[in-house]
Amino acid sequence: MHLVIMIGIYVTLSVGLNLTMGFAGVPNLGHVAFFGIGAYTSALLSLSNFPFLFALVVSGLTGATSGLLLILLTHELKGGYMALATLSFSSLVYVTLLNWEGLTRGTMGIPGIPKPGLWGVKLAPNTSYALIVLTIMMISLLFARRLTASPYGRLWIALRDNEVALSALGKNIFRLKAQNMMISAFFAGIAGSLFAHQLSYIDPSSFYLSETVLITSIVVLGGLASLRGTVIATIIILLIPEALYFLNIPAQYVGPAKPIIYASLLLIILIFRPNGLLGKYSSV
Amino acid sequence: MLLLQLLINGMIAGSIYALVASGFSLIHSTNRFLHLAHGAVITLGAFTFHTLFLLLDLPLYISALATIVATSFLGWLTYAFIYSPLKTRGASRSTLLVASLALAILLGNILLLLFGPDPRSINFDLPGVNISGALITGLQLLIIIISLIILIILFAFTKWSKLGKTMRAVADNHELAEISGINSKKIEITGFIIGSAIAGLAAVLITLDQNIDPYMGRELMIKGLTGAIVGGVTSLPGAVFGSYFLGLLENVGILWLPSSYKDAIAAVLLISFLLFKPTGFFGLNKKTIND
Repeated sequence: MHLVIMIGIYVTLSVGLNLTMGFAGVPNLGHVAFFGIGAYTSALLSLSNFPFLFALVVSGLTGATSGLLLILLTHELKGGYMALATLSFSSLVYVTLLNWEGLTRGTMGIPGIPKPGLWGVKLAPNTSYALIVLTIMMISLLFARRLTASPYGRLWIALRDNEVALSALGKNIFRLKAQNMMISAFFAGIAGSLFAHQLSYIDPSSFYLSETVLITSIVVLGGLASLRGTVIATIIILLIPEALYFLNIPAQYVGPAKPIIYASLLLIILIFRPNGLLGKYSSV
Repeated sequence: MLLLQLLINGMIAGSIYALVASGFSLIHSTNRFLHLAHGAVITLGAFTFHTLFLLLDLPLYISALATIVATSFLGWLTYAFIYSPLKTRGASRSTLLVASLALAILLGNILLLLFGPDPRSINFDLPGVNISGALITGLQLLIIIISLIILIILFAFTKWSKLGKTMRAVADNHELAEISGINSKKIEITGFIIGSAIAGLAAVLITLDQNIDPYMGRELMIKGLTGAIVGGVTSLPGAVFGSYFLGLLENVGILWLPSSYKDAIAAVLLISFLLFKPTGFFGLNKKTIND
C-alpha cells in the first residue's frame, strides 16, 4: 500500500513538472522547492490542528504563490540561465528550511504528522489514505489532460516552440509563463502535502538535489509533454528500488543505491533515448 | 583582532573557492555549458588522496600527483562518455546541465556507498604564524600561496601561450574559431582535462586542511559556481575575484549574521546575481550561458 500511495504522490508531482518542463519547455530544476514548501505548510498546519483538507488546499496555494514568485524573478531568463536560476531557487529554499529553526526545526525535521482517514469508513489507515491519494491523483491527471488538450494548452506548447512568434500574435508571454508555473507549482504543493502526511516525518534533505534528479528522470523517461508517459515512468522508477530489497542488499547500501540508479538511468535515457518512452519532443 | 582573523579566514576560504571556480570556469568557457559535477570530481579527488596518503601511507607528493592524474582522467572519462555523445546529438545547454547534475548525484552516492557518511580527516599541520593576534596555520598559509601561484600560472597560460589563446578564441566565438581551422573538439577536451586537474589540486589542499565527506561536493559546487557567476563566468580573473569576494563576505558576514546563515550567503548572492547582473562583475557576453 505504501508503494501505491508513493506512486500516486509522485505521479501528481511529476505531472506538475511535465507541465513546465515538457509542455512549456521551461528547464525547471526548482520543482522540489514547491514540493518541500507544500510538505512543510501541510505539516505545520496539521500540527496546529487544522483539518487535512484545509492544509492540503493551502499547501497547493503556497506552492503556487512560490511559483509566482519564482517566475516573477526569472521570467526573462532562458536556457542555461533559467536552469541555473531555478536550481539556485531550490537551493535557497533548502537552506532556508535548514536554518529557519524556529519554524522548521532545521535538520531535526518535523515528526508526528497525522495521517487523515475517510469519514465514516472503517478501513486500515493506509488503505483509506491510498484512496484519498489516488483520487487526488486522478483529479490532477484529468485536469492536466483537459488543460493540455485545450486551445489554451496549445499556447503552452507554442511557448515552447516559438516564444517570439507567440508574442507577435499578441499573446501575453509573461501571463502564460506565470499561469503555467503556478499550476505546476500547485500540483507540487499538493503532492508535498500528501507526502508529509504519508511519511509522518519530514526533514529538508527530502527536498533537494537527489529528489530533483529523481523527478527529472521520471519526466524525461516518460517523455516530455506526455502525461501517459509520466504515469508509466513513475511506476517503473519507483518499482526499481524495490528490487533491491529482494536482492537482500544490506540496508546501509540501499540509501545510496537508489540515487545511483536514478542518476544512471537519467544519463542513459538522455544519451540513448532522448525522447523517453512516449515523448513527442526530444529532450536534447 | 577579530576583524583581521575573519579577513584571514576569508582569504583561506576564498583561495579554495578560487581553485574550484577557476577549474569550473575554464571548463565552462571552453565547453559552453555548466559542468555541475565539478564539485563531485573534487570530492572524488579528496577521497583518492585520503586513501593514498593515509591508508596506503604513500608519500605526500606522490599521493598528490596521483590525485591530480585521477581527477584529470575522470574529467576525460565524463567528457568522452557522457558529454561528447550528448553534444553529438545536439543537446541544449539545459540538457547538458541536467546531465551534469545527474552525474554529480551519481558520483556523490558512489562515494557514499564506498566510504560511508562519516567525515574523515588527515591530521597534517605545519607550524603556525601569529599576525598581530590573528592565527593562521602554516598549512593555511601554504594553501593561500599555492592557490595564488596556480592562479597566476593559469592566467599567464590563457593570456600568453598559444594553446591558451586558442582556448580563449573558442570561448569567445566557437563558430568563428572553427572556421579559422581550430579543432574545437580538441580544445574542449583540453579544457576539461586542465579544469579537472585543478580540481585535483583543490581536492588535495582541502583534504589536508579540512574534514571531508561524500556530501561536500554539493557545498563546494555552490561556492565555486557563486564565485564564478559573481565574477563573470566567462572571465577567469573574474571568477577568481568573485571567489575571494564570496570567501571574505561569508567570513566577515559573521559580524552581523548568525553563523548558521554562513552558507545561505552564497545561495542569496548566486540568485541575486543571476537575476540582476547575470554577467557578473567582469563578464562581457550575456549570450554565453543563454541558449
